Amino acid sequence: MDQMAFDVDKYTATSVSVNWSDLDLESFRDHPLNETSLRTLRYMTDVEYHTVCYTRDLLTTPSHKEADMSAFMTMWNREEFWHGEALSTVLGIHGITVDFDEVKAGRMKLGWKDRLDPIKQSVLGKIAGNDFVAVHMAWGAANEWSAIQAYNRMADLEEDPVLAELLKRIAKQEARHVAFYTSQARDRLAGSKKAQVLARFALGNFWAPVGSSIMEREEVVHVMNHLMSGPEGRKAARKIDAAISGLPGLQGLKIVEDSLDKLGIAA
Amino acid sequence: MTTIGEVGQRTRFDVREFARTARGNHRETLQLSEYALSPLNPESVRMVRYLGRLEGATMEHLRNLLVTATHKDARVTAFLVTWAFEKFWIADALDAVLEANGMERFQDVAEGKVRKSRSESADRRGPIRRALSAIRLGVPIVAVHTTTGLIDEWITRAAYLRLAAQSKSAALASTISMILDVKKRHQDFFDDESRRRLAESPRAAALTRKTLLTASWPIGAVDRAADDRSFFEEYVFGGDAGVASASEIEARVASLPGLDDRIGSAVARKLLP
Ligand SMILES: [Fe+2]
Ligand SMILES: [Fe+2]
Repeated sequence: MDQMAFDVDKYTATSVSVNWSDLDLESFRDHPLNETSLRTLRYMTDVEYHTVCYTRDLLTTPSHKEADMSAFMTMWNREEFWHGEALSTVLGIHGITVDFDEVKAGRMKLGWKDRLDPIKQSVLGKIAGNDFVAVHMAWGAANEWSAIQAYNRMADLEEDPVLAELLKRIAKQEARHVAFYTSQARDRLAGSKKAQVLARFALGNFWAPVGSSIMEREEVVHVMNHLMSGPEGRKAARKIDAAISGLPGLQGLKIVEDSLDKLGIAA
Repeated sequence: MTTIGEVGQRTRFDVREFARTARGNHRETLQLSEYALSPLNPESVRMVRYLGRLEGATMEHLRNLLVTATHKDARVTAFLVTWAFEKFWIADALDAVLEANGMERFQDVAEGKVRKSRSESADRRGPIRRALSAIRLGVPIVAVHTTTGLIDEWITRAAYLRLAAQSKSAALASTISMILDVKKRHQDFFDDESRRRLAESPRAAALTRKTLLTASWPIGAVDRAADDRSFFEEYVFGGDAGVASASEIEARVASLPGLDDRIGSAVARKLLP
């Protein structure tokens, strides 16, 4: 661990579900968000609720060495779940119900491709052993950085003070997630050339915007057009890429910009 | 497929309410200073440590569930998020008890070798084999997970009650009663889900019967040290009181929808030392 190591005990002791009880969400009844934003929020809600499913990527065994990992993931899962609850409350005020059973219906559509996913991951995990954990952590960092940029962009675009405050609170928690994933990824990548090669390959070839594996392509395109198009959108994308390429062995990667190009999102 | 709404006449377990009222850090309520005057005996310490290890292994258990169709059920996964959170803090409370008794936290104590038994190979499968067999099994696997969760709650409850009685420590008894109170809602959820799923789907019941014939207990025991497992079996299910407690669990298993005496006794047999 380097001197910037993430303090997991401090994190677990201070982890809370995001609070919105003091925010005047009822104001949306008089000043509703527009259709474009609601559709994006709906996507974000599903992604947040779905986070727990990524626990299946965990390849560590219950051991002394990995106790920090388990502790972090426990709190992280719960914080993300509450991001989903917060956003679904906003949607609820707009008359859009996101019930658990509806999220399930979304996951059910995925079919065989999604079923193969954990297997593919586990096979990779077997081959690379502990180095795969480094990939998992770098991947997680990329996703958390994306979440921060997405919420910041959304807040800027909507210019609604209540929404901005809620998204700011969520983004603040995402920043702690970034801190954990980057500290893990940095240490593990720095310690292994093989991990660096593997992470570069995996992120470079398989990474796609958060939610791509669970949402329809047209929804992904909508959200990316909404949040990541135009000069300001590209600027946000480059920020994520700059952060990712700051990890050991990942210099020069621009996975977010590449994925925007692939989806045909105008710069 | 799951239906939405009521289970018979009963109201369904409210996952949102459970999440909203989750119970976290218990350190203030543990009467830790009591242990300075009357420390726990070595057997109690060993049980506390072992229970801590079991409660603390949620992420690995979650991983095993989520490589199957269970990850598609957003209601179940929403429950599991809060369930893991509450178990984390139960394990933390047990750690605090260990520290108050001058012991290291359970993660910091080396664990012995696991038990090598071919009959437990199903429980020992890694994520690849679990994911592969889950493709074939589909949605009925959710019933297997909730039913094993329910039986696991019955077993650990018996263990906690035994520890409370044997330790002769008022502080520990009070901590255990708090822990059982937290765990009550976990049991309620698993109970609710299992009965409904087992009653609705003959395939789910058949798959659950098959799994229970060979399952080892408590959940996650296959990852634990062989000598700790033997100690647990002796401590919780040894002697006349232990046998009685195992029989009670046996009867409960047998009376679940779609299960029978044969399954009940298969579970009970695995509990006894
Ligand atoms: Fe989030
Ligand atoms: Fe996050």
